[in-house]
Amino acid sequence: MSRGPLLFKDIDTPGLRTLDTYRKGGGYDAAAATLGKTPADQVIDVVKASGLRGRGGAGFPTGMKWSFVPKGSPKPKYIVCNADESEPGTFKDRELMEKNPHLLIEGMMLAGYAIGSHTGYIYLRGEFEYIQRIVDVAIAEARKAGILGDNAMGSGYAFQLYTHLGAGAYICGEETALLSSLEGYRGQPRLKPPFPAVEGLYACPTVVNNVETLMAVPHIVKHGAAFYRQWGTEKSAGTKVLSVSGPVKRPGNYEVPLGYSMKSLIENDCGGMRDGLKLKAIIPGGSSVPMLPAADLDTGLDYESMNAKGTFLGSGGVIVIDDRTCIVDALWNITRFYQHESCGKCTPCREGTYWMSEVLERLENGTGRDADIDLLADVADNILGKSFCALGDAAAMPVQGALKHFRAEFEHHVKHKSCMVNRRREEVAGVRA
Amino acid sequence: MSHAPVMPVDGPATLAWTDRAKAEVADVLSRYPVKRSAVLPLLWVAQNEWGWLPPAALRLVAETVGLPESDVFGVATFYTMFNLKPVGRHHLQVCMTLSCSLMGADKLFKHLEKKLGVGHGETTPDGRYTLRRVECLAACGGGPCMQVGFDYHENLDEAKVDALLEKLK
Amino acid sequence: MSKLVKVTIDGRTVEVPAGTLVTDASRVAEVHGPVFCSPQTLPPLGACRICVVEVGMPKLDANRQPVLAADGTPEIAWMPKVQTGCTTPVADGMHVRTASNTATKARKGVMEFLLVNHPLDCPVCDEGGECQLQDLAFAFGHDSSRMDEAKRTFDSEDLGPIVKKEANRCIVCMRCVRYCDEVMGENALTAHQRGVHTEISSFDRQPLACEQCGNCIEVCPVGALTALPYRFKARPWDLRQHITVCEWCSNGCSVRLGVRGMEILRARGTEFRGVNQEYLCVRGRFGHDFVNAADRLTLPLVRSGAALQPASYDEAIAFAAARLRDIMATHGPDSVAFVGGDKLNIEEQYLFQKLARGVLGTPHVDARTRVASAVAGDAVLRACGGGRPGLTFDALYNANEVLVLFEDLQGEAPLAQAAVVRGFRQRGLHVTVAHPRRVKLARPRFKGDWLAVKPGAELALTLALTKAALDLGLPEGTPADVASALEALKGSLAGWTAEKCQSDTGVSGAAVAAAAQRMRAAAGKALLFGRGVLEHAQAPALVQAIENLAWALGAITATTSSVMAFGAHHDSAGALEMGLTPDTLPGFGRASDAAARATFEKAWGRTLPGAGQPARAAIAAAAEGKVRALWIASDDLLASAADRALVEKALEKCELVIVNEMFLTRTAARAHVVFPVAAFAEKEGATLNSERRLQRSNRALSPRKGARADWEVFQAVAQSLGADWRYRTAEDVFREIARLVPGFQGLSYATLLPDGAVLGEARVAERIVAVDAPSTPAAGDGLWLLSGGTLFADGSQSSRSNTLSKLAGVSRARLSPAEASRLGMAAGDRVELTGPAGAVTLPLEIDDSVPAGAVFVPYAGAELNRLGTPGGSGLRVTARKAAAAAPVGTAG
Repeated sequence: MSRGPLLFKDIDTPGLRTLDTYRKGGGYDAAAATLGKTPADQVIDVVKASGLRGRGGAGFPTGMKWSFVPKGSPKPKYIVCNADESEPGTFKDRELMEKNPHLLIEGMMLAGYAIGSHTGYIYLRGEFEYIQRIVDVAIAEARKAGILGDNAMGSGYAFQLYTHLGAGAYICGEETALLSSLEGYRGQPRLKPPFPAVEGLYACPTVVNNVETLMAVPHIVKHGAAFYRQWGTEKSAGTKVLSVSGPVKRPGNYEVPLGYSMKSLIENDCGGMRDGLKLKAIIPGGSSVPMLPAADLDTGLDYESMNAKGTFLGSGGVIVIDDRTCIVDALWNITRFYQHESCGKCTPCREGTYWMSEVLERLENGTGRDADIDLLADVADNILGKSFCALGDAAAMPVQGALKHFRAEFEHHVKHKSCMVNRRREEVAGVRA
Repeated sequence: MSHAPVMPVDGPATLAWTDRAKAEVADVLSRYPVKRSAVLPLLWVAQNEWGWLPPAALRLVAETVGLPESDVFGVATFYTMFNLKPVGRHHLQVCMTLSCSLMGADKLFKHLEKKLGVGHGETTPDGRYTLRRVECLAACGGGPCMQVGFDYHENLDEAKVDALLEKLK
Repeated sequence: MSKLVKVTIDGRTVEVPAGTLVTDASRVAEVHGPVFCSPQTLPPLGACRICVVEVGMPKLDANRQPVLAADGTPEIAWMPKVQTGCTTPVADGMHVRTASNTATKARKGVMEFLLVNHPLDCPVCDEGGECQLQDLAFAFGHDSSRMDEAKRTFDSEDLGPIVKKEANRCIVCMRCVRYCDEVMGENALTAHQRGVHTEISSFDRQPLACEQCGNCIEVCPVGALTALPYRFKARPWDLRQHITVCEWCSNGCSVRLGVRGMEILRARGTEFRGVNQEYLCVRGRFGHDFVNAADRLTLPLVRSGAALQPASYDEAIAFAAARLRDIMATHGPDSVAFVGGDKLNIEEQYLFQKLARGVLGTPHVDARTRVASAVAGDAVLRACGGGRPGLTFDALYNANEVLVLFEDLQGEAPLAQAAVVRGFRQRGLHVTVAHPRRVKLARPRFKGDWLAVKPGAELALTLALTKAALDLGLPEGTPADVASALEALKGSLAGWTAEKCQSDTGVSGAAVAAAAQRMRAAAGKALLFGRGVLEHAQAPALVQAIENLAWALGAITATTSSVMAFGAHHDSAGALEMGLTPDTLPGFGRASDAAARATFEKAWGRTLPGAGQPARAAIAAAAEGKVRALWIASDDLLASAADRALVEKALEKCELVIVNEMFLTRTAARAHVVFPVAAFAEKEGATLNSERRLQRSNRALSPRKGARADWEVFQAVAQSLGADWRYRTAEDVFREIARLVPGFQGLSYATLLPDGAVLGEARVAERIVAVDAPSTPAAGDGLWLLSGGTLFADGSQSSRSNTLSKLAGVSRARLSPAEASRLGMAAGDRVELTGPAGAVTLPLEIDDSVPAGAVFVPYAGAELNRLGTPGGSGLRVTARKAAAAAPVGTAG
């Protein structure tokens, strides 16, 4: 059974990881037809026309990003794949790479060709060591087959591709921090401008794209913009892989056309809630976006519909929160994550995430005070828009979302010194001594 | 929140790349136009070689890429997966982030603590296990999950963990 | 110069160059804006966020015309988010609000965040009272704290003997780490961990292995890094702060001394002024405590038989004057010689030679006591461009190519080294270092080129470089007479083929040619040399060869110079300018030239002698009994003169030895009269640094009881000898200098504020003549003796600084690992070095920067002049393992 219209269509094909199987399904046809044959600008144009937007979280138009690379620059150019997948709730790139590494390689070749790059790096989060081995095998196969190399597929276009393993830092999903890390520095974000398209890796023009974004490219190049636009909405074209986690009956990755109903995703595709639990809240785009109450479940999974509800499609990490989960507890968990992952470069994020997490700990443990709720809101506001990179915003937005929709639970904590409900605590309390 | 600083543990005074590692080092260095990029990959080579990164290993990496050793120290301590202290044979890294937590990670961690008699960041006296809470492993759909070394184990519960520990000698 | 743009900040419109950052434009608009993470010396970081402001541009209508509000002012489209001023360049028409509700709330928020984990332990913090965090909390902070959670805590650490770290106070602005990297090139500090656990420390928390400059402490805006030597010594408001000129080297840094009572408690840099801004080296920051030393002389001493007896100043002056008068009467003015004076202010240097020439009538004055063979008084100036507007430290930082000839800048010119390092790190400057040792700037991390010249082949390499430069043709715009002189040189250089270059200098012809090519091609260039040349056995030929080379490289042009020379002391350049040389008068007129003498004869009312003898010849004459009286100004001749045996003999033989000193040095102990004098910080005056910047040196505290400024001593003796000197202050002397000395006209103390005045008038004509090729050094036994300055040890003063002497430890002989093993020695052994005149025994240190076939011993402390005088191309010594119980190489 097909699990999705495009990237997930054949993903469970046995042996897809191997070059043979991949080629049998039409793999590398796009590259063969394009490299050395289609002008690079045309490749950019078709990607622009397809409406493809960055699938890592920010949703920036991919073709436009590519077109920012200065044409006349004498410097080498780099194409970098952001495979640092670390936004809590997101696990799509892992499955995509694990099962279909050649599609990523082909996407990187085409992207590299479009921007005039001859070297690509795939930056994988440190925990993905086994994925690195899988991708390395695929790269070796492709190299051996003459697909990668000084004369890729006999096109005269040279393209070398390497994997690079991170070592445990969420911040490296931020593109400039990723480049810092790839250059061997502490993974801290850099000043923009200059943007990576102008001065990225080794101060050379660089495009950083997410795995899912790059994997869409061969399909777009092969079948054209209109083909891709058969899915999705005008502004949110194409498909998106959503990672669903939490207490639903069938968690996992689902590729759907953009604009797909979140309600249908949860209730039909995922089979609804398990263990008799009820839906309380849903985080649609990875833990950094504001959560929505169950009432907002029937919202389209596309950039615009989510924005209209005050949240974001983000990375597509859909976290389902049930009615027996304490929102204060859940928010503390999220905030603690950002505190742990703050790189420490800027003051608001470094200190603010610590402070919020301390306040939430106090609230959750029943020693909160009236003023704490407003304090949390104000600290979040003092982080939002004032931090060096988006990590600060990522820490502040969940707080704002939770306070907006679930303020009553916070007030309950202050007043009654305890949770309204807390399944997790009850379960922990029940562990055998 | 208390903070336990990374206090260096001694380790050997000097280290040199083994012959096996030398090939890897050469391969790593060949991948980048700028040597510095090899820092993380070389730290991995060293950690895979010696299990952790004693100061001498950091010096060796610094020397290999021609960087000040303080610089490499700063890099190594930034990333959570580099072990600046020795770890047990099996490094149990339990994800505690939201999705896993919703699925019972806290309970699972508590169970491991009791079973192994060690807490976060601690190693069993026999050197067999080091237990650690970690943040999101990108296995949210399979929560609760745990990485043992680099191996993913998903959809865990107490019984599955007990069975797994039996297998890890 | 980029074009000017208009920016309006809090309603004040100013014009600034396009690209100026908002924080800098705010300074121009006189709007106070706080900055932590991006001080001026470092590129903007945008990390601390304290400088957030609101930024907007005028709204434009469809015709791109500004939309006007009802009151006729343009409507501004404000950006939705606040921006960091330190990273936002201004654009024409930009509006900035620093005090709007949005900006103020954001800034207050950042301020509050900065205090979240700060311990607020101001009462026990050395920074308290001058802490930027404290000040900004006062200006922008809340009046109460909303943070009552447990704070994240770190343990405090001593990072070596200088730096105390209290990480809890740290605001992670990264200034220290970046300064250590980008300006010092030391990389001793790094950030550990991340997020709220980010902590600044060293590799593995080891003591800092670095220059110990303490600039990390200086740039720390809070009390996270404080100085152990100053710890809990004073509160800043108890200190009188005086800005003066540091006296540890020729760079002339501005230093802010913190004085309480009669004690200098600390020294700091001077952000926003001076050649150095916040920078100081370890000596400048931690070495000034020698002024407080308990063994300062407090009474004049007069010899009575075998012993020096305390005397009053009047007695000592009367004694000195009477003895001088007697000797002059019996043996004539030629029997008196004045030596030393590098460490004096220019007013004192001027009076010292005026006393010699104008009162006593002796021609023998020379400040250059260390040199083995004397260089003409104006030769160094000629090699630096003859007085043409020269190289500044700023130009050095902005240079593309720097050639350092035979000098270890770390020991001799730390600020120059910092300028080169910062130029490399921030601007991609390339440095070429010609030095036998792999000195700091020659290390691979600075990505320069190291011309590892054989010891003794310095002149040969200079000639080879000149040949390589001339092979490229003459620099464009070379004046005709210079061009023909350079053409004429070619013949003398023809023999320097690539093969000869390789065999004689140890440096390949290709490397030499490439170095010359880089210098010639560079738009901004700098040629640096120092004591390695000035005190070289072949100094006269070397200095001349460098003058030739500088012209051939285009480092001197008709109008400018890119050459800088580093003298031994803070006012060595002044000594040359003030005529403390036997052949030149103040302002470089030749002493042998009657017309040049006439100005001074007229002003001083007496005939002046012609040229005299250099210091070494004068000392030799004293040893022979021809010179009978020596006046030594603040110079420990026994330790510093090239030929110690000769000095011994001269001191033995002289009928009168007068010494001005702060301490009873070994030389002073041999004198007949010792005048206790004021330290640099105890007197007024002006000094000339290596960029020929004349700076005011200010009195920070009263002279130690019983001590007088040198100029007062000279005046008192002059008056006692019947001269009609009536200087009330050093400034009176300066006025006379400004009246009489060419190049100083128009200058006054007032014109020297705040940052001094660079002398920049071509006054000495170039002289380009062939230098005889050196004979190939005879292959001989033994090791070349290499010496040089080091950071921590610099002679009698550094040994009296508690901090420096602790850092320096004992003087050591340094051998390469190969040489040590060849000699069968290991670290910790004692090595006996034997030269033609004697031997010294020192502990051995293994140092891989020293070439094989050589031994390196720092200048200070080791009494190398016991070994013999360098002659020819240097000095060879033999080394052997000494018996374990041999006496320690003594301190100077």
